Amino acid sequence: MDKSTKKEMRWIYEEIVGRIPPFSYLPYQFSILLQLLLLLVIGIFLGFVFGLGKISLLYGSLAILVAVSWSLLILQLAPTLRKFRAPLSKDENELLERYKDILFHKNHYEAVPGLVIFIPFILYIFYFGMDLLDMWLGRSPNTILLLFVSLLIWDICYRMGLGLWTSVLALWRSVKLKKLAEKRTELEHTPYTELRYLQKLDINNVFFGLISLLLLPLFKIDNFLIAVIIFFMVFVTLTSLISAYIISKVPWLPPDIYNLVNESSFAYIGTSLKGKTHVTPVVYVFDGQKILFNTSKEAKKLKIMQKNNKVAFLIDKRDMSNIYENKAVLFTGEVKIYGIMDIPLRFIHMLKAISLFMKKYPEYTKKYSTSELPKAWQLTPIISRILVEVKPIKIIYWRGAKQISVPV
Amino acid sequence: MRIPDEMRNILYGNYFGYVCTSDRHDQPHLTPVFFIYDENSQKLFFITNDTSKKVKNLSENPNISITIDIRDPVNPFNNEGVMAQGTATITDKAPIYFLSEETLQLYYDIYFEFKSKYQKVIENKPLGENDVIIQINIEKMVYWKGPHFKSLKFKKDDQILD
Repeated sequence: MDKSTKKEMRWIYEEIVGRIPPFSYLPYQFSILLQLLLLLVIGIFLGFVFGLGKISLLYGSLAILVAVSWSLLILQLAPTLRKFRAPLSKDENELLERYKDILFHKNHYEAVPGLVIFIPFILYIFYFGMDLLDMWLGRSPNTILLLFVSLLIWDICYRMGLGLWTSVLALWRSVKLKKLAEKRTELEHTPYTELRYLQKLDINNVFFGLISLLLLPLFKIDNFLIAVIIFFMVFVTLTSLISAYIISKVPWLPPDIYNLVNESSFAYIGTSLKGKTHVTPVVYVFDGQKILFNTSKEAKKLKIMQKNNKVAFLIDKRDMSNIYENKAVLFTGEVKIYGIMDIPLRFIHMLKAISLFMKKYPEYTKKYSTSELPKAWQLTPIISRILVEVKPIKIIYWRGAKQISVPV
Repeated sequence: MRIPDEMRNILYGNYFGYVCTSDRHDQPHLTPVFFIYDENSQKLFFITNDTSKKVKNLSENPNISITIDIRDPVNPFNNEGVMAQGTATITDKAPIYFLSEETLQLYYDIYFEFKSKYQKVIENKPLGENDVIIQINIEKMVYWKGPHFKSLKFKKDDQILD
């Protein structure tokens, strides 16, 4: 990528700290961690110099632990977004570019929520919360200690601000993306990998919210601040969960392929073992996100897939009267075979798949239930018909004579 | 040896075949093709572009399989099909005057067959410059109708090409 067009994607505080030696000699992420480690060392040192109790050191370490965990989560944003490939939809691409621009805005708005938390908090602590200072540092602490504690408070508040900033922006981006996805045409989409990246960032933020609970012991004597922390936790966790959920509903297939997969009745599954290939038709269902087919327990293809889970899965629309209308999509990748072990964790998911099968192939379900069939074919759901999920790595789409490779 | 009628009927009565090849890492690949069956040699043929993934796979691994079937979305007992497994032979690609007489004859015969089978769709489109004929030497054939299976092994005989 061109250096001038490449976004800096750094936050102001990290940027400033990153310029001071020895931090400037280290890669970005490490320098932040080193900074926090240094705080820990200074804290322990000050603790000994001013004869603080063990409990004070513990409180300080807890605060630093929270700051480190938050940093680790939040610093994944920039590298993840840097890996991001442009969506194949102009609108969605613009949205995600805007999201990145605001997230790492050159005016550094991201520091605002941190400041908004920090200033009232410091005022509160020094005017109303003297009890807290007593609890942390003992009676009439030294000014150096107070300065150090203020620095720690800034570290915490700044990152709380980043937590709010990133989770609110994430929710906004998810809601917008979901809306834009509904207006897609033809082959427009945001690839699967990128959607999963966004979801992973949201899940990171869920943990970000939960980690704030570790701060509770620090404020145990102040009910108001306890309430603030819990509110913060609920807000960040919930916002991020909703955002992750919305992203999970954004189709990862462009409409042309989505519709083909949604409307077709049959698919072909190609497997290969030690070079020998095998291809048969299968029935499958699609829930908008996952593609699942089912196979008899005795089937040759199942035995092959258990040894080599690489597959080719083809869905097509064939029409001899007009071959230029023919469409086909090929997914190559891997399969996940659902077994007994998956029942506890994916029970609802498997039930949903079975009900989709019954809805899509009512006659099949009925016919497979008759006892005149060979035993392996009889339909005793889950047990003798095996559910298999297709996990594509590559997608090829044919429309008429044109072949198009679609990123996953 | 003549193949049983039900298999023969599938091979002659259908337009689409699904060809599966795999690369040297055992990653399968699948494409729909137009095909013809030649009763005399008991081989299947299809035409493809020599830059296609299947040709690339076949040059790494000559194993091939093809499924030709009739599908009924309502009644699974009407589903009927054939899967043939074997190896593929790719015709040499060279300017036409360098091809051996057998290859030329094969091109002529196969193309003629294709034209009569797929008249409606290929009309008078000549073979393209990068088109190659793939010959499937069948080793095993599986037939199914509903839940019933029948399997057939083929003797290894001399291949037409090479």
